[in-house]
Amino acid sequence: MAALVSSLIVFSLMRAVPGDIVGQMLGQTSDPTATEALRGFFGLDRPLYAQFTEWLIDVLRGDLGRSWYQGQAVTSLVSEAFLVTLQIAVLTLIVSTLIGVPLGVLAGIAEGSKIDGLIRAFNLIGLSAPVFWVGLMLLVGASALFSWSPPFTYSSPSENLSDNFEIIILPILSLGALQAAAYSHFVRECMVSELRRDYIRAALAKGLSPAVVYFKHALRNILVPLVTFMGLILIQILGGTVVIESLFSIPGLGRLILSGIQGRDYPVVQGALLFVVFVAITVNFLVDAAYGLIDPRLRK
Amino acid sequence: MSALRFAEGLLKAPASRLLSYLLLAVFAVLIVAPEWVAPQSPIAVDPGRALQPPSAAHWFGTDDVGRDLFARVVHATRITLGLVAGALLLSAILGGVLGLISGFAGGLLDQTLARLVDVILTFPPIIAGVVITGVLGPGADNLVLALAIVYLPLFFRIARSGAMAENARTYVEAARSLGFGEASILMRQVAPNVLPLILMQYVLLFPLALQIEAALGFLGLGVAPPTPDWGSILEQGKNFILVAWWISLWPGLFLLASSFSVMVLGRQVQERLGSG
Repeated sequence: MAALVSSLIVFSLMRAVPGDIVGQMLGQTSDPTATEALRGFFGLDRPLYAQFTEWLIDVLRGDLGRSWYQGQAVTSLVSEAFLVTLQIAVLTLIVSTLIGVPLGVLAGIAEGSKIDGLIRAFNLIGLSAPVFWVGLMLLVGASALFSWSPPFTYSSPSENLSDNFEIIILPILSLGALQAAAYSHFVRECMVSELRRDYIRAALAKGLSPAVVYFKHALRNILVPLVTFMGLILIQILGGTVVIESLFSIPGLGRLILSGIQGRDYPVVQGALLFVVFVAITVNFLVDAAYGLIDPRLRK
Repeated sequence: MSALRFAEGLLKAPASRLLSYLLLAVFAVLIVAPEWVAPQSPIAVDPGRALQPPSAAHWFGTDDVGRDLFARVVHATRITLGLVAGALLLSAILGGVLGLISGFAGGLLDQTLARLVDVILTFPPIIAGVVITGVLGPGADNLVLALAIVYLPLFFRIARSGAMAENARTYVEAARSLGFGEASILMRQVAPNVLPLILMQYVLLFPLALQIEAALGFLGLGVAPPTPDWGSILEQGKNFILVAWWISLWPGLFLLASSFSVMVLGRQVQERLGSG
């Protein structure tokens, strides 16, 4: 339902504003006959509702149409671009979880100490730094320290694994560092409030070792909010890749949307956005499904 | 006495809070009187001194057309922060009013509005921002409009839930039984009680909106050059990153510092209002 309404909005928004693909193709010197012919060719002369229903029926058949520029099927454009973005997003999620969760747990246990102070400073800086700026600074740092800079032509992991690694390492580091900060901040808050609860005090008082109390009891109890947060982070990373892909010239979903909008390539933008909404809904669904696995009380 | 207590409170405050107050004071000066801090013109072009590294004459260096970066970054403070502040204000007013009405009225109107607003939320903010500014075209007006639309649902939701909670309380029932009109109860009784929630949301969203504003500027969808704006300066610096890192360093640091100080302020507001 949400996907339907949002695609209708995207559809009308793109057509409501002045400037379409015909104008861009012909430029200033267009003669009216050519304009009419091209508008007819793209179906832009037909009423909005007719264009929308036709598109919607095709979508339900699994056909997102063809790009008006490249002539390729939108489904293949979107899925190719998504695989590129997905690789970066998943690796970023792994990196940020592996850094962020231990930092947050540590800071939560050592609340008020010097270590906690350091980790909190990292969290605040990470939450305030613009991701693309961190990317830019990493570029400068890598070039100054190792006289190395990433290649700006993309190769996929199946083509050439080491080239692929050289391209994605900086995007993953810049996105990962910031999301690790968000993660660590969140885990710390959860941990601090969990450790204040009575059962923790009771467990420590009866002589259980602190390691068991922290990792077996407290950590297990904050798993549900942690997984919810993981879903949020994944959606955040997908958003963050838009800027990072443009900076590092990576042909992912974000770049596809950006170039599609700039070229008024309606089928590509509609297809890609529909896909983004679909991914967001799927992630939320998976998060909900994971609750039952973690916490038996939430099984229905 | 109160000044003394204020000083005492400052001394006891954690380092991050002190730093944030200090930075906020600096930004206030940069917003009120940028020409006093950086007397050089932020837009005067001089090809003879292009791409100079930081020096005594040009503290932050110069960009590819020889503009003084210190002046540009300092003058951009008012523009960037002003755009974000304005956009969020618009968003807070629209979202707040709609949310109040929706939550207070309930019923079909509420259901419809809530569903519509949720549609915006299905997109990650940056993608919604890219779509709106991309379609409308670059420029300060469109940027403000885009940010306002992106953050409207969050103001709507908080105002709506606030109005719903207030609506269930006895004083509203009392006002009704005394014969006050619905509009008057909403405006005079409910709205003032929901306002602090909206204010808090404003402060909490400010750093997030600032990041999106900068990202859109960086993608070339923000303020048109030569107007100085942190995101746009970063976009310009991107092409010279390996030869002139200083173009990109400073606007990023200013973004970081302003985000940081507002975020710490937001935490404090949240603690004070006791809902964090």
